Amino acid sequence: MPQGELCNRQPIVTDEQLKLTLSDKSGKKYYAEMLELDVDTNALWATIQKTMKARLKTWLEICAHCGMCADSCFLYQVNDCVPEQVPSYKIQSTLGHIVKKKGQVDNEFMRHCMKVAWSQCTCCNRCGMYCPHGIDMGVMFSYLRGLLYSQGFVPWELKIGSGMHRVYRAQMDVTTEDWVETCEWMAEETEEEWPGLTIPVDKQDAEIMYTCNAREPKHYPEDLAEAAVLFHVAGTNWTVPSEGWEQTSLSMFAGDWECCKDNVNHVYDAIERLNPARVTGTECGHAHRATVIEGPYWAGREDGLPPKPYIHYVEWLAEALREGKLKIDPAKRIKEPVTLQDSCNYVRNQGLKDVTREIISYIVEPGYFVEMAPNKEHNYCCGGGGGFNGIGMYREQRNVALRKKMDQILDTGCKLVIAPCHNCWDAIRDLEEEYEIGIRWSFLKPLIIGMLDIPEGMRVEW
Amino acid sequence: MFKKILLATTGSPASFGAARVAFDMAKRYGSEVTIFHVVGVPTKAFSHVVNDVRTGEEVEIDEEYLAWVEEELKTTFAKQFEGADNAKIVLTTGVPAREILREARKADSDLVVMAASSGENASFHKGYPGSTLQKVAKAARCPVLSVHRESASYWGGFSNILFGTDFSKQAESAFKFALSTARELDCDLTIFHALDISGKVLDQNEIEENLIIARKRIREAYVPLMGDFKNYDIEVWEGTPYVEIVKLAREKSVDLVCLAHHTNELDPERARIGSTVEQVILRANCPVVSVSKPDKV
Ligand code: SF4
Ligand code: SF4
Ligand code: SF4
Repeated sequence: MPQGELCNRQPIVTDEQLKLTLSDKSGKKYYAEMLELDVDTNALWATIQKTMKARLKTWLEICAHCGMCADSCFLYQVNDCVPEQVPSYKIQSTLGHIVKKKGQVDNEFMRHCMKVAWSQCTCCNRCGMYCPHGIDMGVMFSYLRGLLYSQGFVPWELKIGSGMHRVYRAQMDVTTEDWVETCEWMAEETEEEWPGLTIPVDKQDAEIMYTCNAREPKHYPEDLAEAAVLFHVAGTNWTVPSEGWEQTSLSMFAGDWECCKDNVNHVYDAIERLNPARVTGTECGHAHRATVIEGPYWAGREDGLPPKPYIHYVEWLAEALREGKLKIDPAKRIKEPVTLQDSCNYVRNQGLKDVTREIISYIVEPGYFVEMAPNKEHNYCCGGGGGFNGIGMYREQRNVALRKKMDQILDTGCKLVIAPCHNCWDAIRDLEEEYEIGIRWSFLKPLIIGMLDIPEGMRVEW
Repeated sequence: MFKKILLATTGSPASFGAARVAFDMAKRYGSEVTIFHVVGVPTKAFSHVVNDVRTGEEVEIDEEYLAWVEEELKTTFAKQFEGADNAKIVLTTGVPAREILREARKADSDLVVMAASSGENASFHKGYPGSTLQKVAKAARCPVLSVHRESASYWGGFSNILFGTDFSKQAESAFKFALSTARELDCDLTIFHALDISGKVLDQNEIEENLIIARKRIREAYVPLMGDFKNYDIEVWEGTPYVEIVKLAREKSVDLVCLAHHTNELDPERARIGSTVEQVILRANCPVVSVSKPDKV
């Protein structure tokens, strides 16, 4: 059969199509249609010839099948070290095969690739550090996901996710109106306690422009209020854009390359329109990767940089603490064993490992910070990265994947985990739900607000 | 003054008292009641997979499921629906406290009515009941009335209001609300301050002195605001505030306690302990309304 009504090669571009796909319970019809979906083998091969760059080709060729990458992959470790989970095997048996066959593969094989691409790799890029040739499956799988997406072989939730970005320019149905309204609401709710606090929308030439994750205005708007409190206390001249505020990119995980580019351009347009000195986003790893690390390349920016310096929230926070714009009351520092989740997306991908530890040095009483082992760029994915968290079909595999993080946390003996990444936060919450190991988890913002040494008169006590 | 009542409910027996108060008030004062139920807390990326707040199971939200929940609520509250022509059901997904606040703001509700606890303890929504009330009470622009036990729900009109003050800024709003309710519904109003001596070592003279000062403060702060309203009493007792409030409420057969809600504790789990409002809600035999903002009073 050619294309299905829901499962097909076209991206979701209208609200109707989005609602229709959403109303298909658990993607039942979608996956049924996928069984019949034709592979346009010629188009697939043409895409490969056009898009597969020398680096990937070389990687496929030079892999020595030495297996040294095996142990680097947490999915290999938690799945009883089965050969099917060895990174090089995973990619050679999928992308490698498609390339060898010059795209002449069938439906069943494509479905197999989908399963491997979305349930056996979180694109955490850890294996790349251990391969003697620097071969990075995270990068290879991102590429494979793109090929699969273009042929319609993508998990239902991620098809919807990138559809959300195309229709609403946000990973959830938050419209410009909803967003601006949320800013007003949060300012209203917070200003009484913090006199003078505002959430300025579309202010020109601010010191800093703030972007976030659509999950925040949708379900956790207090995160925005907390950001506002910290900017306010630090005396920052800041703003949020009315459009181009959504920094995440589920399209990146879906492999919807065109949409990735559109997303990031939308944010860059906001930067160019408002002309802030710098930009920062919320405590999210993949949003940062999409907008700051990969984004410039999608947007075709020659310098490989966003239009203005774009720092991660942990960098902004560390700077504000370092410069004394935010002061911590030593009596309020954390005095219980606490550990830190290093987000692959900005630690391994951008090297922001020391800056989070600098923050820890201000907010945790000496002697109470316990590192995970391994940590920093060697840390393991939370278990829910790369879209894994959101895919119902692979929930079981995701729950197994959470075990690595569970063991790491248990080994620290800590009951409190700081997770300055939205997705890691979700994964750790799920981990507690699934395995009930008795832990708590937190973003940095609420922790810091609770510890601030607030200048006289800035906060109304109540 | 109670034109629009938002009844936030889980539909569980723990909220029946609250529901009764909301519907009784609606019938008596001709209010519009919205039965507001947050179906579930979204688990992952989008909100179609949620943890059902009642069963704790992961469910997918679709038309069919929503229709089923609506039917359930209608059955649960069938009795109350009789004769309440101005009632409707609104369902949504999200984090309960946030969604209650969102709806109250959107609908410009005059009063939020909710149970003090959902009566459940599943790990997925740990902290849902108490902290939901805490968060709503803190941020809502309108008064929030909560009913902890069925016996505390009200059977007729309000006739006897107890306003407890700690002289904070928020207490001013709570007072205004208590006064206008008393005026409008023709109630007796007791203005009360409990001199907090818990954990302090004070000698009797000092206590007496402080009681006199508090009484004077009440006279100065509140009496001038009452104009021609005469049905009031002033009481000042020493002790642990929530204990004294509950004792006085019982003694005077109070049917509504009105307090200011204020805590700057961010962590609602921690804020609960020691919060006078919370303690009074748990122990009082009548509905307790907490006021934290001056907007709707
Ligand atoms: S370590 Fe590198 S070369 Fe060796 S099998 Fe893995 S990917 Fe191939
Ligand atoms: S990128 Fe991460 S999850 Fe994927 S194969 Fe490598 S180590 Fe495993
Ligand atoms: S969820 Fe966090 S740890 Fe996992 S891949 Fe994403 S950023 Fe990394």
